[in-house]
Amino acid sequence: MMGPDVVWYLAVAAFLFCTGALGVLIRRSPLIVLLSLEIMLNGANLALITFARYYGRGDGQVFALAVMAIAASEVVVGLGLIVAMARRHLDLDVDELRTLRG
Amino acid sequence: MIAAAWICLLTPLGAALAITLAGGRLSRRGAGFVASASVLVSFVAAVVTFALLLGDKPEERAHASTLWSWLTAGQLDFGLRILVDPLSTFMMLVVSGVGFLIVVYSIGYMDGDDEERRYFAYMALFVFSMLMLVQGGNLLMLLVGWGLVGLSSYLLIGFWHERPDAIAAAKKAFVMNAVGDATMALALFLLIQKTGSLNYEIVFFQANSLSSWTANLVALGLLGGAVAKSAQLPLQTWLPDAMEGPTPVSALIHAATMVTAGVYLIVRTNPLFEAAPKVLELSAGLGAATLLIAGLIALVQTDIKRVIAYSTMSQIGYMFLAAGLGAYANAMFHLMTHAFFKALLFMAAGIVIHALTGEQDMRKMGGLRRLMPRTYWAFLIGALALTGMPPFSGFFSKDPILAAALASGWYGEILWVAGMIGAFLTGVYTFRMVFMVFWGEPSAFVREHFHKLKQDLVGVSLEVPVGVLAVLAAFGGWIQFANLWTPITDWLEPVARPLVEATGTQEAVSSVLAVLLGLAGIGVAWAIYAVHRAERPRVPWAQTLLEHKFYFDELYDFVFYRPAVFLAVALGNYVERPLVFGSVRELAEGVRELGSGTRRIQTGLVRTYALAIAASLAVVTIVFVAVR
Repeated sequence: MMGPDVVWYLAVAAFLFCTGALGVLIRRSPLIVLLSLEIMLNGANLALITFARYYGRGDGQVFALAVMAIAASEVVVGLGLIVAMARRHLDLDVDELRTLRG
Repeated sequence: MIAAAWICLLTPLGAALAITLAGGRLSRRGAGFVASASVLVSFVAAVVTFALLLGDKPEERAHASTLWSWLTAGQLDFGLRILVDPLSTFMMLVVSGVGFLIVVYSIGYMDGDDEERRYFAYMALFVFSMLMLVQGGNLLMLLVGWGLVGLSSYLLIGFWHERPDAIAAAKKAFVMNAVGDATMALALFLLIQKTGSLNYEIVFFQANSLSSWTANLVALGLLGGAVAKSAQLPLQTWLPDAMEGPTPVSALIHAATMVTAGVYLIVRTNPLFEAAPKVLELSAGLGAATLLIAGLIALVQTDIKRVIAYSTMSQIGYMFLAAGLGAYANAMFHLMTHAFFKALLFMAAGIVIHALTGEQDMRKMGGLRRLMPRTYWAFLIGALALTGMPPFSGFFSKDPILAAALASGWYGEILWVAGMIGAFLTGVYTFRMVFMVFWGEPSAFVREHFHKLKQDLVGVSLEVPVGVLAVLAAFGGWIQFANLWTPITDWLEPVARPLVEATGTQEAVSSVLAVLLGLAGIGVAWAIYAVHRAERPRVPWAQTLLEHKFYFDELYDFVFYRPAVFLAVALGNYVERPLVFGSVRELAEGVRELGSGTRRIQTGLVRTYALAIAASLAVVTIVFVAVR
């Protein structure tokens, strides 16, 4: 089997993960935060599949499928929350949701 | 015999428990009858014990009985043990006999009081405690009885608990007695260490092999207990204040029985005291000093009960004098006659107080001779016995004490002089009381407040015991006449062998002089208080000194109370508030600051939490990689 070395796959995965994490940390819109989360999950998925191929076993792929399912359900809940917020005419800004401040 | 002794000891305890547990189911007078009956049973049991003991040979008159082992610690084993011997039987008879008369008297005296049941429960408890003290078969049982009589005395002095004076007096008596209890307990510790036991036979057997230091310390400790309980110098100040209690209590506890426990203690532990002759001499000296000081103070008191209280101190001074010189039988004989005539005086005074609706100030009394002739005669008999006039009981018991002093060398002669002065003072203060209360014309106060005693249950229960005691005070002394007829000395011989034996001449000289001085005292009192012919000598500084009771209260206040309060306040201001309270406050402040600092970390922003998670994960990863 030919193609780039495994390191390159992992580098892309790490890049995707870091991009997502940065998005989660610095963006204020809940929609973009959810989107960045998806990018982080996909970075992780890429790493899982890479290792699955590298070792020639199926476990990693099974995990990747499970992560996708979880990501989908998480997006459902997250979007549901965003819709609820919009219905109440709240600002769509995660920094405004700070009622848990000590 | 042993069974009778146990019955004698435990019946009053049973009565106290029964009255307490029955509560409202027992009528008030019923409580009085239960208490009287129990003490009567005690007395009968004591008489039975005495009669049976009389059947033994004199050397074999000591029977111990142990119910069970009460305290065990290592080698030590203290049994619940009583000892029946001539001395304890003698005391059992006095305590239960006089106690019975006084409890009967209480039925009348306390009639109508709100808390009669409590009173009678305490009285029965007291009789039990006192019997425990005299019957105890080892020094520990004696100490238990010693503490219990102190407790009952405290409870009964403070019986009228709504009167602040009574509460203060009760506390004072308890604290003063606690000092004596403590020295006594220390003496017992020393004995346990040196002899390994507190049983009388073992301890007395080893008394002479103790080092002189130990013997002196033990005797001093016991003497401390004795002077506290018997209100002798220097722990005497509680007794006059104790007169705040009901009059029968004063008669029973503070005249007839408990205050004489110190004399009993010295006589009981005489081998220990004889091993420390200096301490024995000290107790005689203390007795002589107390009898003089108390006699002097009694001259200026105006409260009838306090005069009698001081005369009690004075008479116990005679007993200490006798016990300290080794004339044990004379001390015990005087203890017995004193119980008769002093209880009589207190109870007759109680009838006077009762008839005058609670007034105790002699200056408001007067002319009661014609209003209450029977009480007058009873009181007069008590007064004559107290003064030591023949043929009343005090004459037979007091004069041998003085004769014994005369037979004890130069030290005894000094004490003899003190005793003679005491005899004169006794005549003055006793008859001052008689003349002020009973002679002359009825005062305005008496005319207004006097009410005659009715001949119902109250009147009978007041007058019958007084009558019986009057007979005893008049003739009770005839059972012993020094050098000629001495059953009491012979009876006590196996327990306490006298150290001095006065000759017939010494007896005669002492008797004649004491009677003459007593008569002189009566004469002085008569001239000043009955016919008002002689001017009362006015010495302002002496008057003040005596009215302040030689400033003993002030001295103790200054030496013990004030420094203690000062120390407590200083510790409160300079230690407790800055250190104890301060440290707690600082600690609380610190915790609160820490909390408000930590609070700022919790922003409520999800992003910060995410950053914290990401950053810490990164750190963990880097560390992990670097370490590997």
